[in-house]
Amino acid sequence: MGWIVVGLLVASAALAHERKEGLPEGPIRERHELMERVGKQAKIIGDALKTGKLEPVGPAAAKIAEEASKALPLFPEGSTHPRSRAKPEIWQQWPEFEKLMGQLQADAKATVAAAQGGGDVRAAANKMFGNCKSCHDRFRLPEKE
Amino acid sequence: MVARTWLLLQAAVVVAALGVRESNAMERGDAERGRTLFALAGGCGCHTAKDGPVGAGGGEVPTPFGKFYGTNITPDVETGIGTWSDEEIIAAIRDGVARGKGVESPAMPYYWYSGMTDADVRDLVAYLRTLPAVRKENRPHEGELPFARLAYRLWRTLFAPRFDRVRERPTDPIARGRYWVDHVSLCADCHTPRNFVGAIRFDLYLAGSLQGPGGDKVPNITPHETGIASWDEDDLVQLLRTGFTPEFDNVQGWMAEVVEGKGGGPGYRDAPEEELRAIARYLRTVKPIAHKIESERE
Ligand code: HEC
Ligand code: HEC
Repeated sequence: MGWIVVGLLVASAALAHERKEGLPEGPIRERHELMERVGKQAKIIGDALKTGKLEPVGPAAAKIAEEASKALPLFPEGSTHPRSRAKPEIWQQWPEFEKLMGQLQADAKATVAAAQGGGDVRAAANKMFGNCKSCHDRFRLPEKE
Repeated sequence: MVARTWLLLQAAVVVAALGVRESNAMERGDAERGRTLFALAGGCGCHTAKDGPVGAGGGEVPTPFGKFYGTNITPDVETGIGTWSDEEIIAAIRDGVARGKGVESPAMPYYWYSGMTDADVRDLVAYLRTLPAVRKENRPHEGELPFARLAYRLWRTLFAPRFDRVRERPTDPIARGRYWVDHVSLCADCHTPRNFVGAIRFDLYLAGSLQGPGGDKVPNITPHETGIASWDEDDLVQLLRTGFTPEFDNVQGWMAEVVEGKGGGPGYRDAPEEELRAIARYLRTVKPIAHKIESERE
């Protein structure tokens, strides 16, 4: 009797563990980590715009440009996963996806230029952030359990 | 004598008529203010299908008890609520009683709306009456329980929370923020988990849920480190205005719908700055609750 209970507990713990399994190693996990890094840099820019102390904007935007240049290979054809939020539309409309990522890179570079050359940093950054939303709305699923 | 009685009678009629006019004037809502309420209510998106039209019904609400479709709340006389009186519409919003059908399913958050002031609910109704009437039959709920109305009545008796009706919209920003969060914008409805019978877990007020509406993950928005302790007031206002988190990760799904409105109608982003700020201020004051809505992606 006791063993049955223990067995059930172990089994349910194993099940619980299974449920909690994260993203697989490889491109799916790597692109998730890449996007998280992009998010960190974006926050740095957002905070700078809020306080008006704009020095960190250039370097952060440069990092976003660099990340964007490395992102596309992390979306190999058909690389979906139950835990990934990537929509299959990415591969059905690859040229669009590619273009948005390219636009992010270009706008991030333009933000660097604005920060260095005394341009309108806020406008440049907002344009850059527009790409995040455009791409997510089209190519990323809402977060499920 | 007769003349005097006649005069008195006339006077009484005039007074009565004035009285009626007066109370009508008091009861008729203001559609312009109502639009602001509709925006603060996140556009009542369940009543709008993905591509609109606004209020014509068909928004999907998947629940553990079957899939519901928001009903047509445009003034169409056959398929909408064009023939309902103001009182009937108000009862549907605040008391959970739909004309001719009985108690509404818990999918309609009437229990939260029950705290809404008389003036606000009237304004909201006045706005609903300005929506373009759309002829569109309501879609029946899928997988509805047998004796559903009886079950809903029972649910209301046993599990629906009871709120005191707010008499007048509070002017203190924090109390006002709370009024929006609990009774109009319904942040509390989506961001508070429920137990297995669908009763609200007030011990986890605003602390998020892995299984929110439609199975979406709903984050903890209390000022705890497992919630949004690192967000300041401006961050929250930015989110309600633009859908961007401080990391410029934009919200999607249900949250995007309430921010942007649905079918071209207004959402949180169209609400006045001071009201969004009141919401943000109130949220900074709620009890921080440790409740990690795990990102199981790590
Ligand atoms: C060209 C498309 C595209 C652009 C542009 C883009 N993203 Fe993403 N992002 C995605 C996709 C797709 C995912 C989901 C990846 C997955 O789950 O496999 C994602 C995920 C994320 C995540 C969630 C990380 C996770 O996996 O939980 C964050 C945060 C994020 N992006 C931030 C940003 C920010 C900030 C920007 C703009 C500076 C941006 N993204 C621009 C496509 C894009
Ligand atoms: C219809 C359901 C619903 C309502 C109403 C709602 N939310 Fe949300 N909210 C969500 C969901 C789902 C998410 C997750 C979105 C995502 O990650 O894409 C979310 C995300 C958020 C976030 C982001 C938190 C984070 O850690 O990223 C904040 C803040 C938030 N909501 C605040 C509010 C406030 C304030 C209100 C009321 C004014 C509100 N919500 C009303 C469903 C709702």
